[in-house]
Amino acid sequence: MDLRVPSGWFFTLVGLILVGWGLYAPDAHAALTTVNVNLYSGLSMLVFGIFLLLLAWRATRLEKGSHP
Amino acid sequence: MSVKLAPVDYVILALYFAFVLGIGWRLRKRISSSGDFLMSGRSVPVWITSLAFIAANLGAVELIGMAASGAKYGIMTAHFYWLGAIPAMLFMGIFMMPFYYGSKARSVPEYLKLRFDEKTRAFNAFSFAIMTIFSSGISMYALGLLLQLVLGWSFNVSVLASAAIVLAYTFLGGLTSAIYNEVLQFFLIALGFAPLAVLSVSKAGGWGGIVARLPANMTHAWKYMGSPTENPMGVELFGMVAGLGFVLSFGYWCTNFLVVQRAMAAENMSAARRTPLIGTLPKMFLPFIVIMPGIAAITLTKMNLGYSLPPNASGGPDYTQALTTLMAQFYPSGILGLGLTGLMASFMSGMAGNVTAFNTVFTYDIYQSYIRPNADDHHYLTVGRVTTVVGVLLSILAAYVAAHYNNIMDLLQLVFGCVNAPLFATFLLGMFWKRTTAHGAFAGLSLGTLAAVLTLSTTVAEHKGGWITNLYTFPSQMAQNFWIAIIAFTVCFVISIGVSMATTPRPDKEMEGLVYGLTHVPHDPDARWYQRPAPLTVIVIILLLILNIWFK
Repeated sequence: MDLRVPSGWFFTLVGLILVGWGLYAPDAHAALTTVNVNLYSGLSMLVFGIFLLLLAWRATRLEKGSHP
Repeated sequence: MSVKLAPVDYVILALYFAFVLGIGWRLRKRISSSGDFLMSGRSVPVWITSLAFIAANLGAVELIGMAASGAKYGIMTAHFYWLGAIPAMLFMGIFMMPFYYGSKARSVPEYLKLRFDEKTRAFNAFSFAIMTIFSSGISMYALGLLLQLVLGWSFNVSVLASAAIVLAYTFLGGLTSAIYNEVLQFFLIALGFAPLAVLSVSKAGGWGGIVARLPANMTHAWKYMGSPTENPMGVELFGMVAGLGFVLSFGYWCTNFLVVQRAMAAENMSAARRTPLIGTLPKMFLPFIVIMPGIAAITLTKMNLGYSLPPNASGGPDYTQALTTLMAQFYPSGILGLGLTGLMASFMSGMAGNVTAFNTVFTYDIYQSYIRPNADDHHYLTVGRVTTVVGVLLSILAAYVAAHYNNIMDLLQLVFGCVNAPLFATFLLGMFWKRTTAHGAFAGLSLGTLAAVLTLSTTVAEHKGGWITNLYTFPSQMAQNFWIAIIAFTVCFVISIGVSMATTPRPDKEMEGLVYGLTHVPHDPDARWYQRPAPLTVIVIILLLILNIWFK
């Protein structure tokens, strides 16, 4: 099992949930900040998750190339 | 202070638990021998072992404690990383890993058996097994207390439920499962707490704003270390560098099986050596995520924002709540659930680390050595699995002991400190001076431990220690810890050399692969320049110097 796959999926899903929540409730923020924390952290997690999945996908493609 | 969770927070928490258990479930098929279960079959890729190497140490106690120290002592706390971890990790990768990995020992105590003899192994194996159970219990207790305080969850339910999840995935997939989950947990902690660091530091006016609002000795890591009265930690330069930077940190990162085990699981010698070296890169920047929020928290309390740290039992600010109160002030539902998941993840990586180290040491160094040698491997796999269950049960018991007898736990932690203090001298001599004999090592280790206990019983710091008499009062408990370590190390070092000179040396032939000078370290011709230890070390040292000069 390539750990990048489950980690990638986890952060992609969490990223989607947070981005969705950030768009649905853009005014939700805690006492000391007015930033839409959910949206921005969600986006960075989404990017990280997709990056891991791309790395894993590239690795399987290279492996298939070397063992035809 | 308390926080209300929304359904979205529970969804994230549940999603995380599903992934953790899923990883354990998928890995269960990889287990067919005790080596697969307890040592990952030595086949884990190096980027995974590197992250697990530092994640196993990033438990809930550390996470909460580092933010608390940041709030209490300021940027000096970063010495636990820059001074107290990086040099030792580099030393471990360059100089010590060849002997651990090359000796084919399955654990750190087993290395001691191969290099010295049975009594030194027994001393190390038993003390280590007991310590892992208690640290895992203390970590569990800390988490249960926190969740009770912040979320109003029941202590029993939090403790039992998180222990059950750790048990499930370590039982299914063994060390591999623990290591894989530690990496997922590491990502989660980093990504879950980085936004908190960014938000809290910028609210405090950035680093410039923090420097302007805090006393100067909290924003300089080195400048006020000349005298213990000038800096908030109450330690002086020599105690800090020799005690923390040398004895304690090398003792932990180079001999503690909990972390060494992660490097030993690597797929080959070159990967095993690179494990701690690569680990230093993320480790070096962790203070920005785990300590900075604490420093920002104490700054925010001085800004009339209506934010303050809740008082503790004696009326002072309760620094241990720095991290959770900040989460309540900056995180709305959604990311709040993720941050909380990060806290639980840190607890789980700490506990799984302890349990997987415990089951290996128990199975190989205690059961196979003293209870039932020469059984077939399948038997030891079963024993490993049963020990995992027993280890979790004992940890739960330790958590309840911690909850009911706080003083016993304080005392135990002091005693563990004494057992660990001299260890590095034994390994240093054992690995680099072939003349060291088994009797020398054992005498040094026993008398070093005794010296630590004696120092603790005759000195006082913050009303701790001094049970026999009070010969000296340290300015802080930290200074006392550092000096106990320095004394224990010196005694162990000197006694080991003295007794070794007076006893018969072991023939060179028996020590091949165990000692410097008698071990061939294979050169890896395929490695690119950045995969070689030397260039990697140079890069790490340059980055480390930049960080220390920046925050001097």
